[in-house]
Amino acid sequence: MIAFNQKYQKLSTLVARLVIGGVLLVAGGLKAFVPAEAASAVAAYKILPTQIAHIAGYALPWFEIAIGLLLIIGISVRMTSILAGAIMVLFIAAIGSVWARGILIDCGCFGGGGAIDPSKAAQVHRTYALEIARDLGLALLALYLYFFPYGLFSVEKIAITNEEM
Amino acid sequence: MSKQAKAATGGDHFTRWLVIGMVSLVVITGVVFSIMSSSSKATESFTALKDFTMGEAVTATINPAAGSGLTLNPGAPVTIDLWEDPQCPVCRIFETSIGAYIDTQVRTKNATVVYHVLSFLGPESVRAANAMMCAADEGHYLDFHQAIYTVQPALENSGFFSNENLIKIGDYIGLTSKTFTDCITQGSKLEIVKAHEDSMPTYKVSGTPTVFINGKLWERKASGFDLSEFRLAVEAG
Repeated sequence: MIAFNQKYQKLSTLVARLVIGGVLLVAGGLKAFVPAEAASAVAAYKILPTQIAHIAGYALPWFEIAIGLLLIIGISVRMTSILAGAIMVLFIAAIGSVWARGILIDCGCFGGGGAIDPSKAAQVHRTYALEIARDLGLALLALYLYFFPYGLFSVEKIAITNEEM
Repeated sequence: MSKQAKAATGGDHFTRWLVIGMVSLVVITGVVFSIMSSSSKATESFTALKDFTMGEAVTATINPAAGSGLTLNPGAPVTIDLWEDPQCPVCRIFETSIGAYIDTQVRTKNATVVYHVLSFLGPESVRAANAMMCAADEGHYLDFHQAIYTVQPALENSGFFSNENLIKIGDYIGLTSKTFTDCITQGSKLEIVKAHEDSMPTYKVSGTPTVFINGKLWERKASGFDLSEFRLAVEAG
């Protein structure tokens, strides 16, 4: 496993960057141009006071776009991976929180969002589990990038290698 | 610490600030863009009222026996009770499909319509509800009610239903008297607004829009609000 990682680390770092960066870029891009919808989706979690939730709803898509772009281009990957991991943890906590409080919503992860008909409870709970699993996977990828930030096709060229870090 | 490691730490500081700077730049630009696009939409919505003509004045009374409901055209054979929040998007859909029919029922004296203007969606609902009661005093509840739903923003509590904008809505449709504007700025009807809100448990109303026809809860069968279904229910009494 360690030998395998040593051999292919630069490639897997690139793949991890592209996966997390791609997901964030798409998720942010789909929401950024429907700001009112994104703001209502954040408000539907009923975690933040409405006013603050709306501001968070405006900012979050752009934040995702910024992180996504940096990861894809490969600038300061270690630092960016911390931020990406942090939003994933935040998303997991938010979905866990609505689940625990018995609120039925569409996560609005890729646009849309809002309350859902109570008759679809079972379906919604399954979706929550899948979303948490997805975000957990992405968080683990971000963790990998934290330990092995230097890979193929990245803008930053650092003389020292991962082993030396 | 080797020389190389030191150099790397120095470089890290620079990239850290670069990343923080780039991320903040994108986020700030994005937020400014988003806020501007939604506020320009708000101004656009006023233009929807440009050709608004008010109907004849209709006397409105507050009925303490019906949860302080705002009663239009009392004494008709059919009574329709409407529970709405001015910021509720589904109420807007209801108004779009069925509002005109209800207005006609009032104006042709076919039905007594009692409006319960709720405000649980937040402070802007309270302000809008207050303004609606002010319009009722002028005899133009129906017109102002229609105008409110015409301009209703997609976003709740986004700052759109400010007293200033509520006065502007009145201005667009032709409600400009000093009593009306004073009533809005002074919040003269807040007690009635609160009475409407407080009467919810008595009528077992937990959401909006809720409709009672002759005291009986209207349960629609169509997935949306269907005018012919509603008309049949009203005609059946």
